[in-house]
Amino acid sequence: MAETRKEALFLGDIRKTYHTGSFDVPVLKGVNFEIWKGEFIGIMGSSGSGKSTLLNILGLLDKPSSGVYRLDGISVETLSDFELTRIRNIKIGFVFQAFNLFPHLTVQENIEVPMVYAGVAKHKRHKIAAEMAEKVRLAHRLDHRPTQLSGGECQRVAVARSLVNNPTFILADEPTGNLDEKTGNEIMTLFHDLHKAGTTIVMVTHNPQYEPEYDRVIYLRNGRKWRIVDNVNNTREEFDTDEVK
Amino acid sequence: MKLSDQIALSFTNLMLHKIRSILTSLGIIFGVGSVIAMLSISEGAKREALAQIESMGVDNIILSTKKPPPMGKDLSDNTNNSNYETYGLTEIDRDHILHMDNVATIATARNSRKPILKGTTRLNVNLYGVTNDFLAATRSQIIQGRWLSPADRDRNVCVIGINARRGLFSIQDRKIVGKIIGVGDDAYRVVGIMENTKGTTIQGLGSPNDAIFITKEASDAVYGKTSFQKIAGRTSIEVVEYDCFVVKVLDVSYIDFTSKRSAAFLNKKHDNIQDWEMVVPLDILKQREQTQNIFTIVMSSIAGISLLVGGIGIMNIMLANVYERRKEIGTRRALGAQKGDIIRQFLFETIFLTSIGGFIGVCLGLLIAKIVTQYANWPVAFSIWFILLALFISAFIGIIFGTYPAWKAAQQNPIDVLRAE
Repeated sequence: MAETRKEALFLGDIRKTYHTGSFDVPVLKGVNFEIWKGEFIGIMGSSGSGKSTLLNILGLLDKPSSGVYRLDGISVETLSDFELTRIRNIKIGFVFQAFNLFPHLTVQENIEVPMVYAGVAKHKRHKIAAEMAEKVRLAHRLDHRPTQLSGGECQRVAVARSLVNNPTFILADEPTGNLDEKTGNEIMTLFHDLHKAGTTIVMVTHNPQYEPEYDRVIYLRNGRKWRIVDNVNNTREEFDTDEVK
Repeated sequence: MKLSDQIALSFTNLMLHKIRSILTSLGIIFGVGSVIAMLSISEGAKREALAQIESMGVDNIILSTKKPPPMGKDLSDNTNNSNYETYGLTEIDRDHILHMDNVATIATARNSRKPILKGTTRLNVNLYGVTNDFLAATRSQIIQGRWLSPADRDRNVCVIGINARRGLFSIQDRKIVGKIIGVGDDAYRVVGIMENTKGTTIQGLGSPNDAIFITKEASDAVYGKTSFQKIAGRTSIEVVEYDCFVVKVLDVSYIDFTSKRSAAFLNKKHDNIQDWEMVVPLDILKQREQTQNIFTIVMSSIAGISLLVGGIGIMNIMLANVYERRKEIGTRRALGAQKGDIIRQFLFETIFLTSIGGFIGVCLGLLIAKIVTQYANWPVAFSIWFILLALFISAFIGIIFGTYPAWKAAQQNPIDVLRAE
């Protein structure tokens, strides 16, 4: 089983220190883990655990101070802003807590945005957007604008948008954070459907309610990996996160 | 990102805020409008002025007789209540100038100094004896009948200017050619009507449109060179051979030299008495052109300042726009928009704004120019080049004032804006 697994991304000793005036604030103090293709991963941690910083690094929006980040076999630490943007465009599908849809665009146009930046031709964009809308069960809403949709529907549009360039993984930042419980569960169901179809998903959340739903949950504390819960193999690892040095 | 998608995106964004877009480009609209109006009006005025000067003939030197100031004048004959004066251009002057290098012909005119009456009212019309080439030299046209011919030297015939016709005859008179006009004891049959369409004024003669012309030979035979006038009980006797020379040169590039030589000769010959004047239309033309150009530059600069203000206004609003749309920019960057895509998006928006503003401004400017020129009775000089220039300038302003906000937009850090809210 283990031999057939393919690496989606790999983090090796990722550190991030913010320099504020004369103070150095270490936020990530050496984070290591890998994510395999097809996995549904949860990243959890309380405020100040370094979760958001890790999210930004995973999403190529921020660069680590040191460490190795390999995304789909590409080492990204030394890449330029242009190259990072390109990788973000085609290898990462973003889903935000606040949906971040463009209110003046229709559902279809919203779904097409990443393809526009990837330079996909118009007729192909229409075709893929329709397929993705079908996948998130919004085919009948293609001509609507986000203001005419419910929160759950908006998030489904965002999920459809994240899928269009067939990314290596979906990076979801608290995707249920702005939704009520029932709608949140619906979105989780949608992610499960995608996961079953083979999509790699990394979800950053502080909601412990969904812990059993992920393949693995990576807990952060004090800028370090603290605990890994493996629901597939039913194992639980704990790591020392005390401030030693 | 494809250019077509980029353009469509920027245009859609502008259309989202139509009122704001229009308000934003108001500065450009009025700026371009005033530049276009200024250019059109001053170009129209310039063309009008230049056409008038040009119609005097750029290859001409115009010499005219001027009654010298009484001081320094020989008044020895001032007895018996009469004034006797000899002054002005002479046959000797004509001969000498005609034989200068570079002089082709000299058309001459002499005023008979006879009052032309209609009933008992004196008309503002003079009778001139002119050489045959006078019509061509003053760039006038015959609009009815014919011009004087050498054979007319023994006939009492005349050609009248278009304005003189209005004075002499009533408007209802359709057939003027063949009619007789009386001048003092003489009568002349009208053989033609001439017009100078530019309304040129010739030094020493006035507008040819206001005059009656007979042949030089007839004039010499009837009026000679001496004229008697009774002014306030005193008879003044004046001997004037010629009132006007229209000297045509062979080579315009040497007109300066020829005019200076003529002036030097006349000064010497007339003992430095200023009983003559010289006008070189080309010189006036050059001066006029220069002052008009300065005028145009000054006016356009003032209008250009309003363009600058308009541009700054647009920059201001675009900067606010960038701030307002931080979240959109951050999301676009996360979803794969390159910095270049963001720069182009905002830059195109600004260029669209200024170009559309420029286009409306051109229309506004042409309208203003049209109104002003109509009111001032100037010809309008619309030039396609002004319009292209204005559109180019407004697009250029878009680039100048759009670059900084666009650059600012691209510098937005997506991390800072994505987690906001």
